[in-house]
Amino acid sequence: MNPDDIKYHREHAWVRVEGKRATIGITDHAQQQLGDIVYVDLPELETEVDADSELSEIESTKATSPVICPVSGSVVEINEDLADSPEIMNEDPYGNGWLAIIEMNDPSEVGDLMTRDEYEKFLKEEEEK
Amino acid sequence: MRLTIIGAGPGGYVAALRAAHLGAQVTVLERDEVGGTCLNWGCIPTKTLIASVEAFERVKHAGDFGIDISGTVTYNLEKIRDRKNKVVATQVKGIKALFKSAGVDLIPSRAELLSKDVVRAVLPDGTTRDIMSDRVIIATGSRPAGLPDLNADGDVVMTSDDALKLAKVPRSILIIGAGVIGCEFAFIYRSLGADVTVVETASRPLTTEDEDISAIIEREMKKTKIKLLTGVSFQSMTKTAEGVAKVRLSDDREIPTDTILLSIGRKLNSGNLGLDLLGIATGKRGEIVVNDRMETTVKGIFAIGDVTGGTMLAHVASHQGLAAAENALGGHTIMDPSIIPAGIFTSPEIGSVGLREHQARERKVGIKVGRFPYRGLGKAHAMGEIAGFVKIIAEAGTDKVLGVHICGSHATDLVHEGALAIRTGTTASELGHMIHAHPTLAEGIMEAANDVHGEAIHVQRESR
Repeated sequence: MNPDDIKYHREHAWVRVEGKRATIGITDHAQQQLGDIVYVDLPELETEVDADSELSEIESTKATSPVICPVSGSVVEINEDLADSPEIMNEDPYGNGWLAIIEMNDPSEVGDLMTRDEYEKFLKEEEEK
Repeated sequence: MRLTIIGAGPGGYVAALRAAHLGAQVTVLERDEVGGTCLNWGCIPTKTLIASVEAFERVKHAGDFGIDISGTVTYNLEKIRDRKNKVVATQVKGIKALFKSAGVDLIPSRAELLSKDVVRAVLPDGTTRDIMSDRVIIATGSRPAGLPDLNADGDVVMTSDDALKLAKVPRSILIIGAGVIGCEFAFIYRSLGADVTVVETASRPLTTEDEDISAIIEREMKKTKIKLLTGVSFQSMTKTAEGVAKVRLSDDREIPTDTILLSIGRKLNSGNLGLDLLGIATGKRGEIVVNDRMETTVKGIFAIGDVTGGTMLAHVASHQGLAAAENALGGHTIMDPSIIPAGIFTSPEIGSVGLREHQARERKVGIKVGRFPYRGLGKAHAMGEIAGFVKIIAEAGTDKVLGVHICGSHATDLVHEGALAIRTGTTASELGHMIHAHPTLAEGIMEAANDVHGEAIHVQRESR
């Protein structure tokens, strides 16, 4: 289920890198934990965001949770479809449910992120805690 | 005892009834309609419109509740307006009936104070009647304030009075001022399909509320696609083709809009009354200076409500009216303005009472804060109303409840439990240990009170 062409952050966000552009979303695990997503507070275009800081907030029927940005940079695209249909984040977290595209300041930050195998191992450890 | 009351708003009419019940011979002068701003251009008509808007939203989302509706769902502005007018008319009639049964004499007229014991009634046809009075209560209220460079014409540029007439739903509306009135209208017009932009000089909407309340309203505005621009002010307006206006803001941004709603506050109706003649002291904004018995600087003349420049709320005016009526008739009633619950009818609505968190910080009061989200309540899920929270501020040392702030469904009703807690010196622990019925939204108050001590039940905790 979790694709292996993307990188994972311990706060359950993912990154798909194309050159300097990084598409950001939340992981399948995150959307399952949240339950039905009812609102995604989309970031503003051109917002500067630091790695490990809050990029957006998601409201589900269970909770309001921040989305932590895995890389630093500037928001260059947002997924407008989420404004009217936030549920796509539940249905297709790694595809149509992407959140935003960041133009990265420092693409080397991606190196700090986890691979699919590392993330799945991480999830298992979290569960056993 | 002959008592003359100038103005029949929620201050004046309540004072009139109380005084009449106590045996006074009461005359009320009202230049417009009984019920004042509250009943005719404020609380009641807006809430009536909101009821229509809520019904509309409910039907639009009927599918979420498993109800199939076929055909197009739309609103009929004329019928919404008729319903509003009918509700207002019923209430107006009700006050008049109460006056009649209490023996209160109502004269439709303007008023001038000629001396301590003579009030002149100026009737619509220009004739006058001088009314001998032993005591006078001034309850003349307030009106929407304007901007020097923006003339409210009732068409392109509206005040809240004009907006309530609801002559049309514009394609777009720019609301100047994100106070209570601006925010309430923003949600009303948005729901009726207008593009809404709200401009606010301060850094947040509803600046008199707790910061968390402002934050959630900002979020709810975003959800409904109301554009909120903070930290900017109105600069100028030019009318372009076909009744369309272009507004320039302090950051040089230009916004085209069909209509503008001015909601930047209210002006006090203290002019042309003859206050100077009698030596009744007024403050900088024209507010009539009163003591805690609601008496002005001239003995025997009282003032209540908006015109005294305090908290401009109907229920405050009414309470001041009770105090003034009792004191005018020889009583010693003190008006305590310290605990005033307030409701704001945004979507979702807001109920607040007592200290805001920033006020507690400014006054260096040590506090503990408890919160509970509506989405943690079964009842909220059943109702399909999960947005919002309850926030309780308690004094750190004594655990006494100092402030209760609620944003969410029925917040304006729920807040009174908080008001009672503050008034009676109840502690957060006592409030949290009181059994609250299930399933209700009031459980949110219990949970938030328990959260003051980290003891809320229906919250997910970090397991470690």
